[in-house]
Amino acid sequence: MDKIQVLLALSVALFAVGLLGVVIRRNMLVMLMCMELMLNGVNLSLVTFSHQLGSTVGAVLVFLIFVVATAEIAIAIPIVLMLVRQKHTLDLNAFTSLKG
Amino acid sequence: MKHALTLIVLLPLVGFLLNGFLATRFGGNRVGKGFVTALACGLPIAAFLLTVACLVRLQEAGYQPLVDTAYTWALIGGRSFEIAFYFDRLTAVMTLIVTGVGSLIHVYSAGYMKEDESYARYFAYLNLFLFFMLLLVLGRSLLVLFVGWEGVGLASYLLIGFWFEDPEKAAAGKKAFIVNRIGDAGFLLGMFLLYQTVGTLDMDRINAAFNGATLPAVSASLVGILLFIGATGKSAQIPLYVWLPDAMAGPTPVSALIHAATMVTAGVYLVARLSGIYLHAPEASALVAGIGAATAFFAATIALVQTDIKKVLAYSTVSQLGLMFVALGVGAYGVAIFHVTTHAFFKACLFLGAGSVIHALSGEQDILKMGGLARKIPVTFVTFAIATAAIAGIPPLAGFFSKDEILWFSFASARGGSTFLWLVASAASLMTSFYMFRLLWLTFFGASRMSHEVEHHVHESPLSMTGVLAVLALLSAVGGFLALPHFLEPMLPLPAVVPALHHHERTLIGIAIALAFTGLAAAVFLYGGGARRAAALRGRFPLAHGLLLGKYFVDEAYDFLVSRPLLWLSDRVFLRLGDRVLLDGTLNGLAAWAQRTAGSLSRIQTGNLQLYAFLALAGVVAALVWTWAHV
Amino acid sequence: MIESLLQHLDTLLLYVFAACALVGAVLMLVLRQPMRVAMALISTMVFLGGIYGLLGVHFIAAFQVLIYVGAVMVFMVYVIMLLEIRESAGMARYSALVVPGVVATALFVGALGYGVWHGYPALIRAAAGTRFGIHQFSISFLTEYWLHFELTSVLLVAAVVAALAVIKVSRRAHG
Repeated sequence: MDKIQVLLALSVALFAVGLLGVVIRRNMLVMLMCMELMLNGVNLSLVTFSHQLGSTVGAVLVFLIFVVATAEIAIAIPIVLMLVRQKHTLDLNAFTSLKG
Repeated sequence: MKHALTLIVLLPLVGFLLNGFLATRFGGNRVGKGFVTALACGLPIAAFLLTVACLVRLQEAGYQPLVDTAYTWALIGGRSFEIAFYFDRLTAVMTLIVTGVGSLIHVYSAGYMKEDESYARYFAYLNLFLFFMLLLVLGRSLLVLFVGWEGVGLASYLLIGFWFEDPEKAAAGKKAFIVNRIGDAGFLLGMFLLYQTVGTLDMDRINAAFNGATLPAVSASLVGILLFIGATGKSAQIPLYVWLPDAMAGPTPVSALIHAATMVTAGVYLVARLSGIYLHAPEASALVAGIGAATAFFAATIALVQTDIKKVLAYSTVSQLGLMFVALGVGAYGVAIFHVTTHAFFKACLFLGAGSVIHALSGEQDILKMGGLARKIPVTFVTFAIATAAIAGIPPLAGFFSKDEILWFSFASARGGSTFLWLVASAASLMTSFYMFRLLWLTFFGASRMSHEVEHHVHESPLSMTGVLAVLALLSAVGGFLALPHFLEPMLPLPAVVPALHHHERTLIGIAIALAFTGLAAAVFLYGGGARRAAALRGRFPLAHGLLLGKYFVDEAYDFLVSRPLLWLSDRVFLRLGDRVLLDGTLNGLAAWAQRTAGSLSRIQTGNLQLYAFLALAGVVAALVWTWAHV
Repeated sequence: MIESLLQHLDTLLLYVFAACALVGAVLMLVLRQPMRVAMALISTMVFLGGIYGLLGVHFIAAFQVLIYVGAVMVFMVYVIMLLEIRESAGMARYSALVVPGVVATALFVGALGYGVWHGYPALIRAAAGTRFGIHQFSISFLTEYWLHFELTSVLLVAAVVAALAVIKVSRRAHG
């Protein structure tokens, strides 16, 4: 198992842990942070590939993901603030307006 | 003038477009009646003059056909479909009839339809008809001919149902259209077969292919019969003749132009134009002659007892068309075209005369409610009488010559002439003479049977109508001296006559004349003295009279044998079983199934975000596992 | 011994950083307090930045620390501090989907790990060792990917507008 595989495995692990966090943690803020973790996992894999292939494509994508992550947080935080203002809780189970 | 032929065709179309878009309610009535009349009558006359010019050019060119390729319609795999016009002797005759008689009838219509509120629409339709009819006779390719063929059907439908507020008249239009469709199926099949084997649809090339050294690898009789099925529809032959009598629902000039002089002769023209095929198709020719003779005979019997002036003329038309097909069936194509021409003259004159009578009587069409009109509308009477004598075959009027030649060739032609054919045709001829003079007597002689009010209003028609009648009567009188079969002979040679029968020619002429006068005498005898003898005859044979009056109940039989089963099939099988149960049932079932499954699946939508995330995760895992397992 | 250790110091550090990042990530799952979770995340991000630095892509490492830790996480921490005052910590830590979630994640890691393990390192290693810095990155960004670069500004503007709109809507709803 060489360096690349270790880094890729780490990226998979980060992504998986982030996803698991989204699924099992009930605190909305923690869920948001887990999403950030997922993005970081993806970034790591992109940087690894980019580094190995000597191509800038991966780095460019990473940069774009930074922007997306920033934008995501910029919108997600106000939404969370509003939800909290409505129900006075951070517990996700309190919100079921997506029920079909 | 390079594109003179195209111009002939397009002139009426211009009239249709201008009148249709400017003068009708659809176009906002932008122009007045004077404009409509000038345009609608002027353009056909211009087309007629152009045709005469073309004829002169044809003569100068030593009767080498003029070809005018207007447009390449399609190029498919190296084969081109062109809209080309072709002008030879046969086309010349047909085009002159169409534009000449057409122009006359346009002029007549200007007087006849003066009071109609859809004046411009009428003329737009009439010009449209003329356009399609010219396309039909001038087209070089069967394809162009077919466009014209369908187009005249459309124009006929529009004009039969011209007064569409009356459901009966609208239904007559639909009937004409639908019955023609049945014939068109045969026409199309014949066309496909020809294209497949000959590789072209140009009619001169098809004729050349059949006259060449090696015959095309197709049964000429099969093609001939298929095309003839189309002709039976358009030219009102058994079994598809039923639409023509109903077509009398249209305005009378329309009956004269479309349903007597021009459109219904399209079938005759088609067979004559493709005579190259029929020369090699003895079976098809025999069928044509047989159907023609049968139609001539049965239609004549029906005409004997009809009391509607236009219905008598309609059945007479069917009968005369039958005679033309007899001529075609025995190979006398030129004679058939000759009869088309003379028939166009006298039948147009008769219909227009009938129109003048109807006009004079404020719409009355029943000849039992007429009588004694000879003094009151003398011009109409004289022209009607001349045309009647012409159709009856009184020498030396036009009908005598053409009909006599038909009878002669039906007897003596080496291409399927026979005594039986001659007998049937002669019987039809005798009946023609009888019912036409019966019509003349009931309408114009004897005591008046009109109601007082109608009688009070009787008036002679305006000059635009009587003038046209006079011209047509003149043509009916002298049209027989045109010697058209001779003119067409280089193109459509007359059939050989069985040598042994040659010496009978004078006898047959004598018999034909005798038959015409017998019919006249019988009509005068039965209907001369107040029609008492006719009533007595009717009393003696009530069954036969009822059968004839009911037109052999063919419409009822068709209704019972074809329409009802079709209706039943459509309703029960296609609508109730096919559409409602199978199609709707399947669709509704699918929709209900989708609704049910969606309903049960929607229970997953708890609104819990984490469940959604989990399901996404599960989906991704499943996709990954599947990918590893399969890629 | 020391020499070889120094020689492989890069690799060793890489492994250590990787292990630390993973530990930080797992801690995020376990810790109850959001603030601690945030700290765990920050540490993970910093370690990742270190990994990027070790790989030679220093500018990404700088961005990682500046944007993620400096901007995003500071914002996050601020919000946690804002809300934590009012929200009791008495709520349950995990949802009802713990067991299926863990199982599915295990399968997920198994499936992807299988791919990583039996992947095609030969192919990946083809151009190994080629380094590139902010120089190439900037050139390619502003020549090849200029459109994407410009689009990010649109995205950011949209995000700002959306955030404002969200706040406004909630004000109107409660105003």
